[in-house]
Amino acid sequence: MFIELKVVVRLLSYAKKLTWKFLFLYFFVNSFLIAQTASNDFNFFSPLHRLSFGNHLYFERDYLRALNEFREYLKYENQDTARFRFAECFLRIGRYQEAADNFKGLFYNSTLQNESRLAYLEAQFQSGDLNSFRSIARQDIYTSAKYSREIERLYYITHLMDNSTLPDTNIFFSVFPDSNKSNVRNFYQRKKHPEYKNPVTAAVLSGILPGLGKIYVGEISDGLTSLIATGVLTLLAFDNFKQSHNFRGWLFTGLAAISYTGNIYGSAAAAQIYNAGIKYNFDNDVKIYFEKRNYFLPEKYF
Amino acid sequence: MKNRQLKYLLIILLLSLSYPVKAQSQHSIQLDYANTLFSTRQYFDAITEYKRLLFYDSSNAFSYTANFQIGKCYKAGAKFDDAIKYFSLAELNANSDEEIYSSKIEIVRSNILRKTTSRALQILDELEKKYSDKEKIDSLNYWRGWTYIFTDDWKKASEHFAKINYYNELKILCDRVEKEKVSVTFATVISYILPGAGQIYTGNIFSGFLSLGWNVLSGYLTLNAFNADRVFDGMAILTLLWQRFYRGNVQNAERFALEKNIDVANKTLNYLQKEYRGTKP
Amino acid sequence: MRNQSQIFFLFTILSVSSPAQTDWVKWEGKQTSYEIQKNIFSFPKVHNESFGLKIISFFRDTYSTLISDLDGDNCPFFPSCSHFFIESLNEVGIFKGSLMFSDRFIRDLNFFKAKNLYPKHISGKYSDPVINYTLNSEKIKHYPGGILVY
Repeated sequence: MFIELKVVVRLLSYAKKLTWKFLFLYFFVNSFLIAQTASNDFNFFSPLHRLSFGNHLYFERDYLRALNEFREYLKYENQDTARFRFAECFLRIGRYQEAADNFKGLFYNSTLQNESRLAYLEAQFQSGDLNSFRSIARQDIYTSAKYSREIERLYYITHLMDNSTLPDTNIFFSVFPDSNKSNVRNFYQRKKHPEYKNPVTAAVLSGILPGLGKIYVGEISDGLTSLIATGVLTLLAFDNFKQSHNFRGWLFTGLAAISYTGNIYGSAAAAQIYNAGIKYNFDNDVKIYFEKRNYFLPEKYF
Repeated sequence: MKNRQLKYLLIILLLSLSYPVKAQSQHSIQLDYANTLFSTRQYFDAITEYKRLLFYDSSNAFSYTANFQIGKCYKAGAKFDDAIKYFSLAELNANSDEEIYSSKIEIVRSNILRKTTSRALQILDELEKKYSDKEKIDSLNYWRGWTYIFTDDWKKASEHFAKINYYNELKILCDRVEKEKVSVTFATVISYILPGAGQIYTGNIFSGFLSLGWNVLSGYLTLNAFNADRVFDGMAILTLLWQRFYRGNVQNAERFALEKNIDVANKTLNYLQKEYRGTKP
Repeated sequence: MRNQSQIFFLFTILSVSSPAQTDWVKWEGKQTSYEIQKNIFSFPKVHNESFGLKIISFFRDTYSTLISDLDGDNCPFFPSCSHFFIESLNEVGIFKGSLMFSDRFIRDLNFFKAKNLYPKHISGKYSDPVINYTLNSEKIKHYPGGILVY
């Protein structure tokens, strides 16, 4: 800059006329301005702009794009919030493994140690492997003192979601807020004593009287239809034997037998389908109830 | 004299030097970049860049263009709900009547492709009330024609293309489809009169004669049973055989006619999608 | 036709429920077909090639060309009873398959089956898939009654 100025002064002294002086001055100032605009020029891809655009996308729930912006930003800068959001984007779009890996990186030497541990556990929980979640949630390095209640609650909720043995009622209910206790107790009871129908009982009942198993399962009209169908076929068999139509007699006997055994089979199947319905409704109710409350986790971490 | 000329020349030269950089701002460069991604069919990334432009466009100079382009990206990815959302945003940010019109037409086209044609017709009705110049009316009729093609109503489509030009290529195409289609009502009615006839009419000859055979046989058996005073047998054959095949024959005639019409329509739709060179939705 | 467009409409409504989700997975340009969709549910073939099943396979072919194609739409279930029989043969073999068919046939005879709240198949019939009746409770796919399934 200084050398350039010297050159200009020199040139100015050479220029004799005032117009020339003015022109040189103009040229100098102008070239300086161009240089100024060029260096001040807006850079869409500077790390800072990447970060603010990333945050904007994050709030618009456009997570895949947001995480790309955070990734680019983090190549140049290191900021805990950005790193956390980067991981959270993975969590929100269902890439739980990547989310967990990135939250893990914030466990130590960061301002978000507690949040990242909770979010890590959330990623483990959402990934659906509840057994591994439960074992991790009980290890000290993964738990956070600040969010111990949240983690404890999530730990107990998982017991409603798979076939693990339910913990003792006192511990189970104590972690939930009072306003939710009656609902949670209801879920606990439904889980502990589901209103299942026993397929074997259904089959045995149908063995005693055709259709009785179906009536036990709740399919009353199906049960009565089987009773009538089996009854009519048996009657026809008897009738034909009585009139010594042996072929027809055996034919109807065969059909009656298939109808009888088929009904025993069908009653057991109907009981299983009934149970699948009970389980579906329970799982669905649990899911809707806790998802609505975001599993008692904070809606936004910060 | 010479000196003065030189002076002006120099002034012009210096002034022109300082301009090119200012004229093309970084924002237009960003728009160009996004447009390049769009034209190379990298729609997902193009949307990112348009969104970046929108985010840093404090003067809203690019609101219309960027939203419109995002809509086009989603449309190219067959994500019509999002496309329509962004075309509507473009419409809200439009700077001129022409831009509003373009956004509306894009919304219509997305609705056609999404096969929510009643919405497309509704928007076209609104536009028709607003515009009266020949060029716009032609374009509205054109899109109305396409909408009817997608509702499988080729007759109405033909009528609207004819309003643009009686010898319009699409009009002729629609007429041909309409002519090639079979009448579902006719197929059903003749099947009621002569079992199998409807199936033969739609080109399913084997099925038609077989149907006729079953109906003749079961009809004969029924009448035979009644003639021999075997009323129970007659009733059983009537309900379990004859009625079943008679009803089946009518159902088949209707089904075959509908399927044939779908085939005829699909052949033309396929041509329109793959080979037709004009503007498509 | 009307029925189909309604279903399509329902489908689109369900898919818009969360706006930003479209972009949670990177996507490419894609053309939607202009063509009209046809729903054809063809008669299943017998898979197993043992001798006993070959005879059934022969009956199946004869039945499907000579009778089933011509006697109209008689079964309120999807898959229809005859399709159910062939599919269950393929799934669990001839013995269990026959029992499943017998049970299904009696359920079809039931005049009040609408009260059983089957889910609705896209063809407009009661959805009653073979897989729910194989006595393997892990495989049962439960849907609430009346809901539309594919």
